[in-house]
Amino acid sequence: MRHVLAIAGRELQSLFASPVAYTVLTLFAVLAGFFFLTGVLQFQEYIIRMQSFQLQDQLAELNLNDHVIAPFLHVMSVVLLFLVPAITMGLFAAEKANGTQELLLTSPITIWQLVIGKFLAAAAFVALLVALLALFPGLLFWYGNPELGKTLTGLVGLLLVGLSYAAIGAFASAVTSSQLIAFFLAFVMLLVLWMLGFLADLGAAGGGGAGSDAVGDVLRYLSSAEHFESVVMGLVDTKDLAYFAAIVGSFLVLTKAAVESVRWR
Amino acid sequence: MIEARGLSKRYGELLAVDGVSFSVAPGEVVGFLGPNGAGKTTTMRILTGFLPATDGSAAIAGHDLFDDPLAARRSVGYLPETPPLYPEMSVEGFLDYVAKLKDVPRRVRAQSVARALERCGLRDVRRRVIGALSKGYRQRVGLAQAIVHDPPVLILDEPTVGLDPIQIREIRALIADLASERQGDRARTVILSTHILPEVEAICRRVLIIHRGRIVVDRPLEELKRGGASLEEIFARATSGEAHEAPAAPPEVRA
Repeated sequence: MRHVLAIAGRELQSLFASPVAYTVLTLFAVLAGFFFLTGVLQFQEYIIRMQSFQLQDQLAELNLNDHVIAPFLHVMSVVLLFLVPAITMGLFAAEKANGTQELLLTSPITIWQLVIGKFLAAAAFVALLVALLALFPGLLFWYGNPELGKTLTGLVGLLLVGLSYAAIGAFASAVTSSQLIAFFLAFVMLLVLWMLGFLADLGAAGGGGAGSDAVGDVLRYLSSAEHFESVVMGLVDTKDLAYFAAIVGSFLVLTKAAVESVRWR
Repeated sequence: MIEARGLSKRYGELLAVDGVSFSVAPGEVVGFLGPNGAGKTTTMRILTGFLPATDGSAAIAGHDLFDDPLAARRSVGYLPETPPLYPEMSVEGFLDYVAKLKDVPRRVRAQSVARALERCGLRDVRRRVIGALSKGYRQRVGLAQAIVHDPPVLILDEPTVGLDPIQIREIRALIADLASERQGDRARTVILSTHILPEVEAICRRVLIIHRGRIVVDRPLEELKRGGASLEEIFARATSGEAHEAPAAPPEVRA
């Protein structure tokens, strides 16, 4: 555990000593502010429009959770799609480029300690991003009365999504010594994983053969967007938790293998 | 202190290291020579636990590299060809991190770092960022990270390559100094790979020459020079053609 914390601590320290952390934080804050503002303005416009048309039923159904917070968290999960790879791209690639991999692999630490330490550092950064994001829905509590439970579940959902992205990003960083390649590799993998649900929908719309339903179900299950959708709406199902745990677990195993592979060659 | 038994390393078709056996007694300082591509770095990487051997076994300070890799790695200080440094860290911060990785107990950690800084002449730059240091100073930091946990064995891969003549002299003096440092009740064991033959004559008492993955010379320096030939001539002879000098049995002292 001491080793794990030492590795995670050093990683975070390096992240904040480089411009990457600040660039990501700034981009994230700017985008979050923009999407939050547009979300709130749009919500206001809805209310005005529905009032003018006297649509009492629809008006009663409007609420801050489903019509402001959920869409906001949703769009931020897309933002994380390209910001998390920026955080994770250096995890292992930089060690290889620096030559410090030789220090790590000749130290009395296990590869698991190394991988977990690195992942923890990325996870802490993702948690910081989500905590920052919590300020925005927090504002709504000041002016309105959204449901606390539902809001928190949504944030936890975003955290889970971010952690699964971080594990995938760590793997991408472990297979190359170029941070640029690590970034794009992670981004493409995340994008594909995220879009699998659309692919299933397209298949269904195209009216494929008898097998397409089963394939669609599998694709939909694998898609990160699908699972996030249910969590962000305030529904925490063990199925979704298992999905995120499986993604994190399997990609950490792959990362460990990729780090270890220098020894097989 | 270092025991290599029939080490081999195969990369696909290439046999980079081919049945290398030698043993180094505690306190011995061994010069590890050989042309580029002879298998020096690969052998050192095996001994430090960075790479596994395809065949054979090795033990450091009595710990088998295969059976007890963590204990074996704890006993080695290693300076690879490119010093493993984080340019954004301070010298002191970096050494503290390495001390944690190398299992230096918390209560003596600050002391160990201070000692390494002192030994390598880094006290005045300890708060500087590594990336801002000159190449000579970076090499010193590389040496400091190798000794911060006070290991009984030091393995140095071409520690003076790319330095200017004054830096070379300084680093060489530092290595000689570290080699003579007492490690508990005995002197430190050092393996030093280099292309600079006078460096070997200045620091080492024993010479190992590796050529095409095999040890072709393994003798005390004094004995080699008794023949009248210079080290350069011996090196050239040993690494030309197939005429291998049979490895002479060194005066072995078990670690």
